[in-house]
Amino acid sequence: MLNTPMTQGSSKSDVFDVVVVGAGAGGGTMSRVMAGKGAKVALLEAGPKLVPEEEFKEHDWPYHYDHRGAGPGGAGYFGRGKPFGFMRTTSGGWELPDEPYTVGAGSEFVWFRSRIVGGRTNHYGRMSFRLSEWDLKARDRDGVGPNWPIGYVDLAPYYDKAEKFIGVTGTHEGIPSAPDGVFHEPPPPKAHELLVQATGKKLGIPFIANRRAVITRSINGRAACHYCGQCGRGCLTASAYSASQVDIFPALKTGNLTLLTDAMAREVLTNASGKAEGVLYIDRKTRQVKRVIGKSVVLAASTCESARILLNSKSKLFPNGLANGSGMVGRNLMDTVGLSVSGYVPALEGMPVYNTDGFGSAHLYAPWWGYNDHGRLGFPRGYHIEFGGGFRMPGVHAGHDAARRAGYGKRIKERMRREYGARVGFAGRGEMIPNRFSYCEIDPEIVDDWGIPVLRFHFKFSDYEWKQARHMEETFKSIIEALGGRVTGVGNAWEKSGISTGGSIIHEVGTARMGTNPRSSVLNPYCQAHEVKNLFVTDGSCFVTNPDKNPTLTINALSWRAADYLAEAMRKGDV
Amino acid sequence: MSDSSLLQVDDISRRDALRRIALALTAVGAQSLDWASAQQVHHAARSASLSGVYQAKFLNPHEYRTVARLAELIVPADERGGSAADAGAPQFIDVLCSENEQLGRIYSGGLGWFDSWMRQQHDTSFVDAPEQQQTEMLDAIVAAEESGRESEVDTELGPGVLFFDWIRKMSVDAYYSSEIGIKDLRYQGNGAYSEYTVPKEALDFIKPLL
Repeated sequence: MLNTPMTQGSSKSDVFDVVVVGAGAGGGTMSRVMAGKGAKVALLEAGPKLVPEEEFKEHDWPYHYDHRGAGPGGAGYFGRGKPFGFMRTTSGGWELPDEPYTVGAGSEFVWFRSRIVGGRTNHYGRMSFRLSEWDLKARDRDGVGPNWPIGYVDLAPYYDKAEKFIGVTGTHEGIPSAPDGVFHEPPPPKAHELLVQATGKKLGIPFIANRRAVITRSINGRAACHYCGQCGRGCLTASAYSASQVDIFPALKTGNLTLLTDAMAREVLTNASGKAEGVLYIDRKTRQVKRVIGKSVVLAASTCESARILLNSKSKLFPNGLANGSGMVGRNLMDTVGLSVSGYVPALEGMPVYNTDGFGSAHLYAPWWGYNDHGRLGFPRGYHIEFGGGFRMPGVHAGHDAARRAGYGKRIKERMRREYGARVGFAGRGEMIPNRFSYCEIDPEIVDDWGIPVLRFHFKFSDYEWKQARHMEETFKSIIEALGGRVTGVGNAWEKSGISTGGSIIHEVGTARMGTNPRSSVLNPYCQAHEVKNLFVTDGSCFVTNPDKNPTLTINALSWRAADYLAEAMRKGDV
Repeated sequence: MSDSSLLQVDDISRRDALRRIALALTAVGAQSLDWASAQQVHHAARSASLSGVYQAKFLNPHEYRTVARLAELIVPADERGGSAADAGAPQFIDVLCSENEQLGRIYSGGLGWFDSWMRQQHDTSFVDAPEQQQTEMLDAIVAAEESGRESEVDTELGPGVLFFDWIRKMSVDAYYSSEIGIKDLRYQGNGAYSEYTVPKEALDFIKPLL
């Protein structure tokens, strides 16, 4: 594999200390920390460079576009537009024409990829929740699924570091399942959120300040949030965290980081003694096969992509793929369980219209409250509640429902004015237990446009997840009813079956899990491959379980922890 | 909100203003921002906003007039704002039809059906019929649509029901994505503020409900 005639070799002087694959949360953190320690780092990104001023649509009005945000040719009317709307998504999608994937018979799975510097962190929800001891050692309590090989005491110092660096809002609450952190002051609740909070209290559901990677005071030359509520479009002032603006752009200024864009990683190169010695990639612009050589390799290409690279890195020493002696690469694929319910609350009609943009997303959320009730709930793990409402920026699709019910004429405007700000929506984000039916593998027949064998997905939710989704549905209906409202819809486009389609929450994790036993895990507790000492995987694939805490903050923390470990090992000459 | 309002920009120059802020931060690592100069950038760029007479690309003049009339009937002007036609619905629809063959076919066919129905009833095209005949036809379509929710759509009006849903949703979209539609709803956001506060009126409104 190493000496294919097409490859262009690097000269000896181009040996990097670390070759990192993937410029998202894991790769961005790793690159920044290692470059900051003086290591020479090469960072491969499969997509192009990011120019926020060109890519981000923050502050654009719909009437700045001929298509008003419906997308060129009105793609949004035909379900073909950019995922989450023209304005919101920066780049990427469920289907990339040059990089297909397949799904096994009887399974449903979708895979969102964002090929650009910063990846999905440019537009993600910024929810930033710590895993608790309760999450990490859940098996000790309920006997379901595996424990993590690390405890909260191992992670806490790195959550502290990550939160101090990226900036996360929150308040100190002392809830065992939702550990407090190092917080920026959160913005105050909006009026309808106060009503939801008061209603939640009556139902025994605690709504507390949201924890999001948005800074409310200036740090590290980043401006404090200016409350436009458009984090999902990308944040021009980098007040909302993104790996591109917060990790990678500053790291480039150290002179220690070499960023290689349009570099589609194909496999990790290994030498005769089984050590990683670089990465083979395809330059998308020239279609040339190239390699980059390093003393260590860190995969952070995103959960499934890192598994794909490992499985495609076959050699005599590693016939089943690299670091896959356990057979666990690609296994234990998990997403988050999602279900949403929308409602209409007449009590909110007539509220004076005011600016509810805020810091993007709700200013409150409800951490899982039923952690002592699982014996009677019938499902082992919990979920948190995210919700929406308020006077949102009007635009395409805002008036369809009201218009249909009004027929035509002045009643449409009247209805729109009356209903503006009276709609609410609740979404559950819950833990999925890993199962043997959910995994990805290399499709034996299909390659992508770059000649790289593609992934084939298999996915199934068990009764645990279905029961949890029903609990979400009943809970959200009961909240809407307690608000004096009526339920207007159950399930979004991805949830027609009564539970989110696998992958659609974009929290896929688990495909190269960590553990202490090399026969049942791929990585050690520092994200280091059991079988290849100078190979690390620091994206969501190292996760052992997928608690109801959106994964990015934990990826930041684990990648930082792995970087410290790698640097120390390099200093000692162990890697 | 007015005390903490730093930037009230309302057109394409928003991005220039924000870009200026971002650049200022990157250059000096400032802890406070030069909002005054950001606003100046905004005002300078504001004059460069879009203007000019639109030349239809897909709809013929008769079709364009028909779309404008339907848009006006669907979202008429009132004391708080203009009509969907005033909000640019005909241009919006024409642009998208010119870019999308599938949508173009929906409009060519749908507008043709509207005219042939009106011709059968009153021997004139839709746009040239008097307002009363136009609204009678729309009332019949909406009635058929409503009965169709419970049973099958009236077969004679079926094509009209399907097309009317298209032009209605796109007229409504043109309106609520326009400057006048956004002002009609009194949306207050898309600004830049040094802090977020909820105004007293909103808190007073919610207090009795808590």
